[in-house]
Amino acid sequence: MILKVQITATVEKVKVLMTKMNHSLAIVLTLFFGLISFIAALSLGAADISFADVVSSLLASFSAEKEASSVLFFERIIWELRMPRAILAFLAGCGLAVSGLILQTVTRNPLADPYLFGISSGASLGVVISIVLLGSTISLVTPVAAFAGSLVAMLMLLMIAGRRQSQQVESMLLAGVALSFLFSSFTSLLLYHTDPQAVTAVLFWTMGSFSRAQWDTLWFPAIVIIGCVIVMLAYRRQLNAMLLGDESATTLGINVNRFRLIMLVLSSLITATLVSLCGGIGFVGLMIPHIVRFFVSQGTTSGIMLTALVGGVFMIWVDVLSRIVLENQELPVGVITSAVGSLFFLSLLYFRKNKA
Amino acid sequence: MACEYQFLNTSNEINSPKQFSDKVSEDQTELICIQHVFWHADKQLILDDISFTIRKGSFTGLLGPNGAGKSSLLRCLYRYIKPDLGSIKFNQQDIWQHYGAYQYAQDIAVVLQESPSNFNLTVYDVVALGLVPHKGLFTREEASDKDKIACAIEQVGLSNKTQQNFEHLSGGEKQRALIARAIVQSPSLLIMDEPTSHLDVRYQIQVMELAKSLGITVIASFHDLNLASAMCDQLLVLDKGKLVEQGTPTEVITSEMLSNVFGVCAKVTTHTQHQVPHISYFYGYDIESSDNSDSRESEGTHD
Repeated sequence: MILKVQITATVEKVKVLMTKMNHSLAIVLTLFFGLISFIAALSLGAADISFADVVSSLLASFSAEKEASSVLFFERIIWELRMPRAILAFLAGCGLAVSGLILQTVTRNPLADPYLFGISSGASLGVVISIVLLGSTISLVTPVAAFAGSLVAMLMLLMIAGRRQSQQVESMLLAGVALSFLFSSFTSLLLYHTDPQAVTAVLFWTMGSFSRAQWDTLWFPAIVIIGCVIVMLAYRRQLNAMLLGDESATTLGINVNRFRLIMLVLSSLITATLVSLCGGIGFVGLMIPHIVRFFVSQGTTSGIMLTALVGGVFMIWVDVLSRIVLENQELPVGVITSAVGSLFFLSLLYFRKNKA
Repeated sequence: MACEYQFLNTSNEINSPKQFSDKVSEDQTELICIQHVFWHADKQLILDDISFTIRKGSFTGLLGPNGAGKSSLLRCLYRYIKPDLGSIKFNQQDIWQHYGAYQYAQDIAVVLQESPSNFNLTVYDVVALGLVPHKGLFTREEASDKDKIACAIEQVGLSNKTQQNFEHLSGGEKQRALIARAIVQSPSLLIMDEPTSHLDVRYQIQVMELAKSLGITVIASFHDLNLASAMCDQLLVLDKGKLVEQGTPTEVITSEMLSNVFGVCAKVTTHTQHQVPHISYFYGYDIESSDNSDSRESEGTHD
């Protein structure tokens, strides 16, 4: 009870602070915390590298001076392993949070999540098919197969949602859930007839990981996510207008059905890209928009940008946790996000119940 | 803060119905012209040969029992549904052929019963949505836009609640915030679908006086006939999809109309202060058997 009062009081204090504070300042502070988190992500892990070493290594990379061999060793860990990983984690967090925000807004359903629409299940089916057909998890084939599976799921969803325009939201949600189960059943069927090693590989893949992050593949999620965020910022007014209801949004000049389909494509593209590179990472798209919305109105440009930034920073720390919780072993990212997400959900229900 | 924006050269001076009527009579130009509109849904004719005109600057009330087709007619007007037959002209131009969706939204604002989903939008955010038809994708909110929004919020008396969560407002305040959004849209026609439903008497009068004070053309559907009689210059009565009556409140609000369209016994007198028809309903009368005789015998009735 005391804890609840304290949490409520703290939230109210932060809300008042955020209202008084310029939203731009909030973005700057989040960016600053993001930078600290980024350095922490480069520092923490199986090989412990101090903050000072990380900073000197980053600075050294901009100078032509040759360093000692130990520093070169750290540099290799930082630049070749941790840096692409931290960047991918940040992009994944941004993308999933923004994707969740889009879906929650256009469906006016606070429970909408990028994984609710069968995109992840489609990706899993793609991966399983590639493993069954090619017999192994070839590094390049897996993300391509996952992306193809996600696109198939997305196209099927668009066909169903596009056809029944009068009840588009309901169609989208129900079709998403139905497709998700359909793909899962095919996946299970294929796994049932494949060898146990492949089952383990698929299982690990579905739980999510940033271990496959590489410099030469990072351009793809970067372009997709930055591009989608720019489009979303451009459509921010239309997105907010969707919250008024379909009819009111129409009176503001918005072609509601077409706009919803565009946003669905955007969200699906982000999810498909991330699922293909990182596997299944649930709950982030659901949780982050709710947390940010608690403090900042999503009706503003800064609200959208903060959602993306908070998602990115959150995912950096999830990745750090996944590397340091178990000694010499990596915990799947999806395990941490699901655990945190479930606790978040339960606390949300608890607070809402008490509020009512 | 002093408001710099006024609507179509009108101001809050127009307060009483009489003053408003005088103003309207100066400008007789048609703003809306509906001709032979038919619309059906699920094989049922919802709008059956509707024709009428609305003058610029007038306040038109749409009356009728539940299911008469009021909302469907308004939906046709704000381009949410396309009639099967007939034409709807706005400023002498067909609304489907001549106007694009955004262009039409720049001229017509609509206040519906829909309330924004609870996504922690502030009053400011909701009011700012009035800019949607006027802003391009990459255009930013300028200082003049912010002034316009602040002015609209001030006009509806919500200046002290600008940053408050929309969901936490009372019913009347929500309706006023939605009217502020419509004000930001800078329309020449405001359409309101049952704007006073769920509001108590005080808020009903407040919201209607606010809509009237804007000085723009307004068309609104009503269930409160006395309120419609007091506020409107022109009334349209729909019954089973047909336009059965149209004219001034004095011409339209009669015991006969109330009996035929709404199936109620009522006495219509003249409001002593506003000089508009005032309805007193009788309870416990069976309209079919009593044949409405009692209600139409009193002195001062309008039938």
